[in-house]
Amino acid sequence: MARRDATGRFMLYGACVPVLVFLLLPSLVIVPMALTKGQMIQFPPIWISVHSFTDYLDDPQWFDSTVLSFQVAALAVAIGCVTGGAAAVALHGRRFPGKGLVTGAIMAPIVVPLVVFALGGYLVFARLHMVGGWVAIGLLHGMLVTPYVFISVQTSLLAALNPLLVRSARSLGAGRWSVLRHVVWPAIRPGVLAGGVLGFAVSFDEVVVALFLQGPQTVTLPVRMFTAIQFELTPKVAASASLFLALSVLVLLAQSVATRRRGTA
Amino acid sequence: MLRSPFWLLLPVGLLYGALALLPIGVILRLGLTDGGAPLRTVLHSPLLLRATENTVVISLLTTIVAVVLGALLAVAVWRASPTLRSLLWACILLPFWTGVLIKNFAWASLLQDNGVVNALLLALGVTDHPLTLLHTRFAVIVGMVHYVLPYAVFPIFTALSAIDPLLERAARSLGAVPRRVVWWVILPLIVPGLSNAALLVFIVSCGFFITPVILGAPSDMMIANLIDYYVHDLVDFNAAAALSLLILAAIVGLIVAQQMVPKEGQHGAA
Repeated sequence: MARRDATGRFMLYGACVPVLVFLLLPSLVIVPMALTKGQMIQFPPIWISVHSFTDYLDDPQWFDSTVLSFQVAALAVAIGCVTGGAAAVALHGRRFPGKGLVTGAIMAPIVVPLVVFALGGYLVFARLHMVGGWVAIGLLHGMLVTPYVFISVQTSLLAALNPLLVRSARSLGAGRWSVLRHVVWPAIRPGVLAGGVLGFAVSFDEVVVALFLQGPQTVTLPVRMFTAIQFELTPKVAASASLFLALSVLVLLAQSVATRRRGTA
Repeated sequence: MLRSPFWLLLPVGLLYGALALLPIGVILRLGLTDGGAPLRTVLHSPLLLRATENTVVISLLTTIVAVVLGALLAVAVWRASPTLRSLLWACILLPFWTGVLIKNFAWASLLQDNGVVNALLLALGVTDHPLTLLHTRFAVIVGMVHYVLPYAVFPIFTALSAIDPLLERAARSLGAVPRRVVWWVILPLIVPGLSNAALLVFIVSCGFFITPVILGAPSDMMIANLIDYYVHDLVDFNAAAALSLLILAAIVGLIVAQQMVPKEGQHGAA
């Protein structure tokens, strides 16, 4: 029996290895691809040169797009943290008919195809003459970020905030603002941080909405990459992709830090 | 006061109202102008049939592959020791948080004629000339499975972790061999998890926009790309709006179906 168990386990992990390689391979090839001396992406790359990185940073268009993407993501995270965080606090510890529906509505941006929001956003912002401005992209990204902050704040509330704490703070004479500042905020802080980092990654990577709302001066980095990839696979794209990869590693680290802090809280 | 006030829902309500409800209202009006003429234009377009067929076929294939591989990974994580478990989660989460654009770019460079995959196939002697892998439906499905695989792992893993370990011991002590335990005890308990994973993956797959453009051929156009085509190539906003309505209706239908999937298995909660 025991030997049969061991064989089964061996087969299970043996079968997983190719799947894991499949999962990780794309993340592992980006940086080596960027370090080629050649002008095109190829395998094996002609090592080793950082010209792709200097090409990327020296190109004013690509540089401006990078700055723009940071700007858009910052606005989106600021909006998403307020909306998602406040919604999670409002629903915490409440039971009412239709709560599932409210939660579902807040999560909807994850499942509704982006192109629907992109088209709808375009139609609305066009009437307001806001298409082609970065604020429009940031606002719409703010909606896409909201569910991520909501989920992550909800998780940290469940772990750290017993509704009774709020009641005892109130009964001890704390004002509404004081409760928010000293009881609720410490409980949601790790969730806001983790959700904010995730949201930043979501906005920084988003193509479809940014593609619909772009103007001559507002081409975000993902849109520029999306256009470039369709025509040629250059090391410059790989260099900017390395930046994205660094960001996603950062997200993973931030998440594990947030979970750890939650664990010790 | 025990609970936080309801007005905290105001910011999210305002944001969604302005950027989701209002736009959907505009889309409804445009899509249904002239007694639904744009809707008829779209429904009679041969492109719609093509894009719908592509979307359904590609999403179904993606869903099948992703659920099978996702179940395998979920079982591996479930059975792993704590250290191995966090290592596996890291492997699953890194691609989850890598942007879709980066993943597509990486697959494009992996699958191109002088890419890693072809170099490997040539070295192994599987083929004597580089295969055309990029800009095919195969490449689209590879890219999509890679994107949705974590979405398949999460619900299946949740279902697995809810299983009472005593059930397995009971089955063993009653003389069931491991294969029968898997078939008669574990599998029935994770059916809701599997169907949830399948529906989630299918819904997410249907909305793909970037992957068919970068990894596929023009003939692999999916339904989201058709909206873009109506907007940017034909500049027909009414038809684009009508098409969005059809997509929204399909998504709502799928989500209702997902809600109707029983949350409890035949033999207990999952």
